[in-house]
Amino acid sequence: MSIHDFIKKIKNHEIDIVEHTYKLIEECKEINKEYNYLNTISEDLALNSAREIKIQLKQKNKNIKNKKLLGVAVSVKDAICVKDVETTAGSKILKNYKPLFDAFVIQKVREEGGIIIGKTSQDEFGFGGFSVNVGIGFKVPKNPFDIDRSCGGSSGGAAGLSQKLSNHIALGESTGGSIVEPASFCGVYGLCPTYGRVSRYGLIDFANSLDKIGPIGKNIEDVALLMSVISGYDKNDSTSLNTKNENYESHLKKPVKGMKIGIIKEAFGQGVEREVEKNVYNGIEELEEEGAKAEEISLELPIRYGIGTYYMIATSEASTNLAKYCGMRYGATEKLEGSFNEYFTKVRSSNFGDEAKRRIILGTFARMAGYRDAFYLKAMKVRTLMIQEYKKAFKKFDALVSPTASILPPKFEDIEKLSPLQHYMIDVMTVSPNVAGLPHLNVPVELECS
Amino acid sequence: MKFKSDIVIGLEIHTEIDTKTKLFCSCPTKGSEEPNTRTCPTCLGQPGSKPVLNNKAVEFALKLCLALNCKISPELIFSRKSYFYPDMAKNYQISQYEIPLGKSGNLRLRNGKEIGIIRVHMEEDPASLIHPAGMKESAYVLVDYNRSGNPLVEIVTEPDLASPDEARDFMKQLITVLNYLEIFDINEGIIKADANVSIKENEYTRIEIKNITGFKEIERALNYEVNRQKEEAKRGKNIEQETRAWDSDKGVTFSLRKKETEEDYGYIIDTDLTVVEITGKWLNQIKKEMPELAQDKVKKFIQKHKIKKEDAEILAAEKELAEMFEKVAEEINPLLAAKWLRRELVRVLNYNKKELHEVEIDEKHMIDLLKLVESRKITDNVASKIMEKLIEKPFDIKDYVKKENLEAVSDISELEKYCKEAIKENPKAVADYKKGEKKALNFVVGKVMQKTRGKATPKEVNEIILRMIE
Repeated sequence: MSIHDFIKKIKNHEIDIVEHTYKLIEECKEINKEYNYLNTISEDLALNSAREIKIQLKQKNKNIKNKKLLGVAVSVKDAICVKDVETTAGSKILKNYKPLFDAFVIQKVREEGGIIIGKTSQDEFGFGGFSVNVGIGFKVPKNPFDIDRSCGGSSGGAAGLSQKLSNHIALGESTGGSIVEPASFCGVYGLCPTYGRVSRYGLIDFANSLDKIGPIGKNIEDVALLMSVISGYDKNDSTSLNTKNENYESHLKKPVKGMKIGIIKEAFGQGVEREVEKNVYNGIEELEEEGAKAEEISLELPIRYGIGTYYMIATSEASTNLAKYCGMRYGATEKLEGSFNEYFTKVRSSNFGDEAKRRIILGTFARMAGYRDAFYLKAMKVRTLMIQEYKKAFKKFDALVSPTASILPPKFEDIEKLSPLQHYMIDVMTVSPNVAGLPHLNVPVELECS
Repeated sequence: MKFKSDIVIGLEIHTEIDTKTKLFCSCPTKGSEEPNTRTCPTCLGQPGSKPVLNNKAVEFALKLCLALNCKISPELIFSRKSYFYPDMAKNYQISQYEIPLGKSGNLRLRNGKEIGIIRVHMEEDPASLIHPAGMKESAYVLVDYNRSGNPLVEIVTEPDLASPDEARDFMKQLITVLNYLEIFDINEGIIKADANVSIKENEYTRIEIKNITGFKEIERALNYEVNRQKEEAKRGKNIEQETRAWDSDKGVTFSLRKKETEEDYGYIIDTDLTVVEITGKWLNQIKKEMPELAQDKVKKFIQKHKIKKEDAEILAAEKELAEMFEKVAEEINPLLAAKWLRRELVRVLNYNKKELHEVEIDEKHMIDLLKLVESRKITDNVASKIMEKLIEKPFDIKDYVKKENLEAVSDISELEKYCKEAIKENPKAVADYKKGEKKALNFVVGKVMQKTRGKATPKEVNEIILRMIE
């Protein structure tokens, strides 16, 4: 049953929303036992929302029939604030933190009758591509097809749950590929929108100039539906785009005939697994059969310098964003002793995970006097060059194609062997569009099973 | 660097600007004094909160840049200044770094010297820390975020100031500008300075003094520091570059840290905020709204009211005084008005340790009073006394003069009567005068003034007595 049909059935009283939500929450608990997709299941909030909808339906409330997400379960990446629901961004340092306000996207989901079911697991603050860098005390989510493999990251819980749970759409978040890459590993659709299209108000920051909230779903219709709900101008986010809202569902059935598609030359060949390459080419062929015109394009700068540029900017920004967590106003605390500096150090040392510490150190270094010009400012300049190169490419093409990830989901035992740099390389296809603020979408083309 | 003066001072001034709401959120800058009540997720640095720029604050800062003759940046860009401190909600302060809003400006001192302004930039105020048992002794510190996120403007001068007195005057002139622009709350606004002080005797080794609050303190702190450095030099001590703090209660500076390198704040662009374009159109709009400043008033007073430059400068130095003068000069001879406002009113205010905006006296009182002086209905003496009383609490001057019978004695026969009495009552003084002690006459004149309660002019009394004695 599509979500569209599901909503129709809710509106026509064919499905009892309270009963349905209750079952769905039980299903989440069951799935979570094996896969660890949810850090928090907001059972009370979900059931209360369901009861509220049921009452309004009974009272034949006029507005209820127009709600775009009526009764649809929406999971929320743990980095997105939901009022009064524990929100940690996957970090021990925010354990038990309950936000004072809803993120913009949460307000929108609620307004349209969506039911928030819980907070999905992720790499701590989004720092990773395999969801293995979860915070201290958090569980690693597992691939829905093979529990020995990664479901990707950092929105790993969101992508895995999207594959496993029906009548559900996930809110993911991406800084360097954290929506599309886990979507690819879990065989679902993930849309990372244009920077500024979706308000970041209420998103716990990783890197402010890169972070984007976007939908992940089993069907492209689900992704388009949630995208229509969460996009739009928000006065509380200065980087929000003040342009007219779009109905993304209206674009779904448009033919691809005559579309020009650029195949990024550097995204194939060396370092790309054979199965990945084969299946992506098959996908391109399908598009060509539908009348799209595909042609190769070289985008050397973004592929070659994307990782370096991205990590300089992202860690610089992240290291300032994480400064606020010091055990003083909210989140984890330690025994109060020593000077403020000693206390802050103790809180941060014992509550941040290794990758968070690594990125704080990297980012602090990149913006230090004496290194700032060579790293942070240089990266900002390369970013401008990358944007120009993409602009040039989009003069000729309507869309660019590359594999989302160059490999199939790796086994946890193999991930352990990776050096931090090899770990960072998983983002090679996805960081560049993020650095340029471009939208990108993961389209599953084939399921490879070993 | 070559310095011309023996003392070299540069200032870094932080001033609050008087917007209704904070720089990056809509919390009020004034209101409840109960700690942590004027706060929201943004000024508390809660995860997920985002800053949104207050355009009014930008306009205020632009006005200041224009008044200080700065070159204005075409773009407003904010940076994050990172350091850990308990008064920082985010452990970074949103400030400006590479490209300040204004640069290369200047401000003229009373002595005519022009002081260079290196930069003017905007930033947010941290929270306030309260040490319940004193700064060094308290076992704990309380944090009040009511102030967190208030808009500040930082003004950095060239090291052009050659004495603590000049530094004080710079602050005074700056406050005058802020006051004219109406961007500073003169009653509650806080103005703070850090000062770099170096003296020739120490080869101009730079010492930074932090945390001097208010323009009167600056001279005290700098005088102390200059003397301290001179003493050290006399004793042959080699002064190292260091950062010191001013303890206003004890009247001393004390060492905070000897620093070998500049502090590293790891500045990056704050990408939560967009680059704000300062368009020509916007700037023109602001230029149109710019009020007359002190130098405009001085010119106008000299040209229109024909008063002396020196008087014009003193009147213009304070916005309230200048505005009062303009209104009074419409009804009273400007020369008389200037004399009374810049001498008597300022004298009485200084004596009472008050500023004009702190007292209730207004232009109507001055006009009433000076009309009586102009028409010689009361003597200067009586007018001065009335002014002293007015500062305490205003009243209707005409009624008061009538009720207290203070009108000048213009009837010569009445005056002659008082003089005759005084001569009779003080034969010794009269005799002394006749012996050649000219001063003795003043004593007799004083007695007559007493009898008339100041309602006669000393000159007139003097003439009558002389005539009677000789």
